[in-house]
Amino acid sequence: MKRIKQFFRYDNVGWLYVFPAFAYMLYFVGYPILQNIILSFQDVTMRTLTSPDKPFAGLQNYIEIFQDKVFRTSLTNTLVFTVSCLVVQFLIGFALALFFNRNFKIAKPVRGLLMMPWMIPITVTALMFKFIFGTDVGILNYILSSLGLIKENIEWLTTPGTAMFAVICANVWIGIPFNMILISTGLTTIPKELYESASIDGAGKVQTFFKITLPLLRPTIESVLILGFIYTFKVFDLVYVMTGGGPVNSTHMLSTYSYKLSFEMFKYSKGSAVANVLLIILLIVGSFYLRATKEED
Amino acid sequence: MKLRKAAAAVLSTAMAVGVLAGAVQVSAAEDITLWYYWENEGHQRALNEMIGTYNSSQDVYAVTAKYVPFADFKKQLSIGASASELPDLVILDSPDHASYASMGIFADITGKFDVSTYYEGPVASATLDDVLYGVPFGCNCLSLYYNRDMFDAAGITEVPQTWDELKETAAKLTTDGVTGLAFCSLQNEEGTFNFVPWLWSTGATSYDINSEAGIRALTFVKDLVDSGAMSKECINWTQGDVMNQFISGNVAMMVNGPWQIPTMRDEAPDLNWDVTLIPKDTEFASVIGGENYAVVAGGNEEGALDFLTYATQKEQVTFMMTQMGYISADSEIASEQFASEEDAVYKKFVDQLEYAQARGPLPEWPEVSDAISLAFNEVMTGSAEPADAAAEAQATIDSVLAR
Repeated sequence: MKRIKQFFRYDNVGWLYVFPAFAYMLYFVGYPILQNIILSFQDVTMRTLTSPDKPFAGLQNYIEIFQDKVFRTSLTNTLVFTVSCLVVQFLIGFALALFFNRNFKIAKPVRGLLMMPWMIPITVTALMFKFIFGTDVGILNYILSSLGLIKENIEWLTTPGTAMFAVICANVWIGIPFNMILISTGLTTIPKELYESASIDGAGKVQTFFKITLPLLRPTIESVLILGFIYTFKVFDLVYVMTGGGPVNSTHMLSTYSYKLSFEMFKYSKGSAVANVLLIILLIVGSFYLRATKEED
Repeated sequence: MKLRKAAAAVLSTAMAVGVLAGAVQVSAAEDITLWYYWENEGHQRALNEMIGTYNSSQDVYAVTAKYVPFADFKKQLSIGASASELPDLVILDSPDHASYASMGIFADITGKFDVSTYYEGPVASATLDDVLYGVPFGCNCLSLYYNRDMFDAAGITEVPQTWDELKETAAKLTTDGVTGLAFCSLQNEEGTFNFVPWLWSTGATSYDINSEAGIRALTFVKDLVDSGAMSKECINWTQGDVMNQFISGNVAMMVNGPWQIPTMRDEAPDLNWDVTLIPKDTEFASVIGGENYAVVAGGNEEGALDFLTYATQKEQVTFMMTQMGYISADSEIASEQFASEEDAVYKKFVDQLEYAQARGPLPEWPEVSDAISLAFNEVMTGSAEPADAAAEAQATIDSVLAR
């Protein structure tokens, strides 16, 4: 009896509260990841999928994917995609946040409207951009040619280089509101007094921005960039719907290529190896995030 | 007062019926589930109607059909196979049959069905190592559709029969806003399906693309795109998209299958079109498509077989084929199909079927198919020359076959 009572002392009860979430994470997140890691060290194809003993393959899958041209393209693509999206959407998001922070009359409703892209289902966005970038029916080519900027329609989605550009545009469009809203929130936490005393001291707009706004926003900016990296790096649906990884594998990302290997070509182990490469990169970035948030505390 | 009485009467009757219905359901039958992937509403209605008549014809089994989108179908089957959560019966794309059979998820039904009157290709697609793992549901093949009014307007009287004639005709038909020819060239199985007729027409097989003949086929499609007679957008068009472009008058000729006919008649009743054999290089060629039934091993095999026996009867097959615009895989039934004058155009697909071959069957077909579709996509987008694309594809194919 005493023991039970002792167990339910304040600090131990905490474990009980944590338990449901912990069990949930273990079963629905931990278990699949573990299975996936095991799968990547085996040789599972359609011939061995249902057999009870699956041949051990060691590092073979990892060696083979790094020799695979399409995998290397997808890895570079994912990095190029993530970095370009991150830079552009961060800069535009930051600019918009500063703009709306001036609190003019219609700032609030317009800022609300700008959240739209974030709320639209990604499949819808992807289809919409597929139409925008269409060669003969796309509005972008229509605008460009009526402005006299192009003579012949650009084949956006059927040319390797421009297809990547189109996908990045679509993702930036989705990412801007996310950046804007987080930075806006960050801006409101900066005490007004600082700006007031700075202006009394005769600091200019540029000076206050670099000496007050940026340093105080640092933690917010770190979170925005790291979270943005994670969201962007694991992109799947947007690319899958817009280009399906084409033309000629030029827009394949790690996620879409992993899907293709597993579910279109039945190379389950290779697919999971690709997924694990994605996981490892995200874990590294995620650990930076954890460290950054710890520093904040 | 009266109203309330009436309402009460209605209610109690409804309840009584409900109870009765409930009672019937309790005594009812073993559930059989069937997965299929047709997104076409007409196809779905036909299947459900056929299942309905089966369910009311007996009370041992109750079949329910579940629609799984095509893009998800392979994934669901793979996941189902590893988690042992599969339906009892599937209707699947014939080139994938061998892959799933090699997973061991389908029951051996050798000797349980008489497939001797069936076309060879479809039966081969359901066979692996001389064991029958399924029954062909129905088949189709690709042919060339052409817009008659556009032919007349361009003063073309002869239907193209060779590649040279096709190139010439397509060029003549290409105007501002209209491209001469279109066929689905996606970088996936659907695209491969539409490309292999050209490849096979040169005499090359799916496994020797890096030959003089294989390179000729790749060069042919490259020329079509480069000359503007075929839109590069085809690499993003599904067969449904191609059909929509054709009925909207944006495309003068297209390669497509007979399953589009019911929709085309529905949506563009005034369009004046006809069908002819796909023009040839050295020999006429086409590709067999369609689905097979397969019984899942370890499910309710007995029930699945009972339904399958019912569904492969002549009456059922004829109904399904007519509703769906398919050709029966049973040559005896196929020869009696499309007797009415209105359906004469389907006969042209039956003619084309004479020249059609099946893909594979090979468990690793998806990998071969991927190599082929990459090759023609490279050529059509201009990212590789035909010879280089062919060599690259051949290297992949050889490594697959060497395993």
